[in-house]
Amino acid sequence: MMGNLIAFREQLGDTRLAMPEPLSREAKDGIERLASFPTTRDEAWKYTRLARVAALQLSPLAHYQQPEPSECSETIDVIFEPHGWFCAAPVEGLIIESAGNLAPEDWQACTTSGHVQYLNTLAAQGGACLTIKAGYEIPKPIRIIHRAKGENFAMVLHHQINVEPHSKVQFELLYEGQGQEAYANILVDFFIAESAHVHVDKWQNTQGTHYGFYNERIYQERHSTFCLHTLTVNTHFTRNDVEVFSQGEAAHTKLYGVFLGGENHLIDNHTFVHHMAPNGSSDENYRGVMKGKAAGVFNGKVKVYQHAQKINAFQSNRNLLLSSAASINAKPELEIYADDVKCSHGSTTGQLDALALFYLQARGISKEKATEMLVGAFCAEVVESVQSKHIQRAFAAYFSS
Amino acid sequence: MLEIKSLCASINGTEILKGLNLSIKAGEVHAIMGPNGTGKSTLASVLAGKEDYEVTSGEISFDGKNLLELSVEDRAREGVFLAFQYPVEIPGVSNVNFLKTAMNEIREHRGLPALSAKEFLTLVKEKSALVELDASLASRAVNEGFSGGEKKRNEIFQMAMLEPKLAILDETDSGLDIDALRTVAQGVNTLKTGQNATLVITHYQRLLEYIVPDFVHVLFDGRIVKTGGKELALELEDKGYDWVKA
Ligand SMILES: Nc1ncnc2c1ncn2[C@@H]1O[C@H](COP(=O)(O)OP(=O)(O)OP(=O)(O)O)[C@@H](O)[C@H]1O
Ligand SMILES: [Mg+2]
Repeated sequence: MMGNLIAFREQLGDTRLAMPEPLSREAKDGIERLASFPTTRDEAWKYTRLARVAALQLSPLAHYQQPEPSECSETIDVIFEPHGWFCAAPVEGLIIESAGNLAPEDWQACTTSGHVQYLNTLAAQGGACLTIKAGYEIPKPIRIIHRAKGENFAMVLHHQINVEPHSKVQFELLYEGQGQEAYANILVDFFIAESAHVHVDKWQNTQGTHYGFYNERIYQERHSTFCLHTLTVNTHFTRNDVEVFSQGEAAHTKLYGVFLGGENHLIDNHTFVHHMAPNGSSDENYRGVMKGKAAGVFNGKVKVYQHAQKINAFQSNRNLLLSSAASINAKPELEIYADDVKCSHGSTTGQLDALALFYLQARGISKEKATEMLVGAFCAEVVESVQSKHIQRAFAAYFSS
Repeated sequence: MLEIKSLCASINGTEILKGLNLSIKAGEVHAIMGPNGTGKSTLASVLAGKEDYEVTSGEISFDGKNLLELSVEDRAREGVFLAFQYPVEIPGVSNVNFLKTAMNEIREHRGLPALSAKEFLTLVKEKSALVELDASLASRAVNEGFSGGEKKRNEIFQMAMLEPKLAILDETDSGLDIDALRTVAQGVNTLKTGQNATLVITHYQRLLEYIVPDFVHVLFDGRIVKTGGKELALELEDKGYDWVKA
């Protein structure tokens, strides 16, 4: 049957993680209830068709590509081995174990919803569990590398990251590699305790007809900060869901993103910030650039709960269309139940400034190069605050290629 | 160097240039004057290759090449330079990076090796001094937040860097104070050789006291209706345009 979710779930195999029973049950029931993939009538998938995903013939991924040793000097690398995660150079204050070794009670409480998360809960092949001990500042970025290669594989992973009080850490999440008719479903949970500070730079640059679903769930306690940059370039199909539960007082969140699509790519960014406690803030800034027949989606939802007074929520989404066949669907959603809040959002979609392009060309710069310069300038505001040198270099290299 | 024959050009279906003829030889300075809205900037844009304009008939040859067949960037690489009447602000693109890219693309086109960072900076220093452009402007975004006069100096600074064969200055004098006018004009004169040519579009004969033209043309209603020597500019200043319109 077309779009059969139950058959799809079966070809992914059973999870090797010992998830808490209520979560597994919720996921199982959820899949049975849905029975088929959501269609574009479903608000959350309005612009993102899943027919191609539903038709994938998949088997669980057996082999993970290793990074070159030389790449590892600036960062602490967390590398997947077929039977678990391992860290090349452990440091004090950082505990890494395979998610496969966690008992059901070691998984922190969280909610799960939607077919992507259900599938993850039922079929995750592995993951890393990282703990940053209270009071530690990890000196180098921790890099989690996903670099699978092959055909018709399904890579389903679930990472849990516990950041204890008063600690500070920086992550790089890399999604690279190459897939033909492949599927990735990667869920990362961040539990950020009181006064802990987390910065995450996420780089997505997969090759081939690779269908990627990436979920980050962030649970923030009081006085914590979380900053995420999502850079997506040139991927065939990417759906990012970032959901922040700002549940402690005066927690601050920044979600930034740049997504560049070409050919017939689809890049869909969904964010959802729950302001559940007072005096917090969220700041979102996403820039999309689509050329060819690429389609981009930005959907930013902010919900301010009744008792969450004195919230500052700011959201900006700007998009550029470089061809007439490219498209962007942008939608901000605000739900505000508190009365003393400052919320603003703005979304614009336009074309490259023709006068600026002419000016650059009139100085001898080719149209392609001029376009690249203007697109680079358009993205600069977001890219400049990426902390990872590696990712900044990768972004620059993507541009000059 | 430049040969324009019976040029007709329109924008959005409105004909602006209506059979314009102009011939410029290496080493010459030409001035074009004329009332507002008669097509001076249109001519400059058509020469630079702006796509909004449609050339409906006529020919333009530049150094023996059919200019109309070349892309905007190839015209610049062949040596056409337009100093814009309204220089464009480009936030996020640094002036230095912009110029370096431009120079190296032009050099590549001419079969020259790319400039080293050091060679480039030496040139920037030398040429920005020539037009007395504040060195700090070089590191800022292209024209962003520049004052009117700074924008005009920046145009001439770029011209000095790129060393074009044909420079078209579209009202470079407007918005310049008297000292700046002198500096910019001196810059233009310093860059003058027997191999290049300058086309100055202006409303004021004052600029022509500094950049002395070999020919002055009056553009009216899309055509050149009168051509004379530098004394024509004085005459126009004195009598206005009415007497040449007929
Ligand atoms: N996009 C457009 N659509 C229609 N008409 C246009 C457009 N752009 C320019 N024009 C018209 O073309 C005519 C010539 O304009 P142009 O800028 O060449 O004049 P100019 O001689 O440079 O004037 P000025 O001395 O004021 O700079 C003007 O009447 C102007 O309104
Ligand atoms: Mg004009």
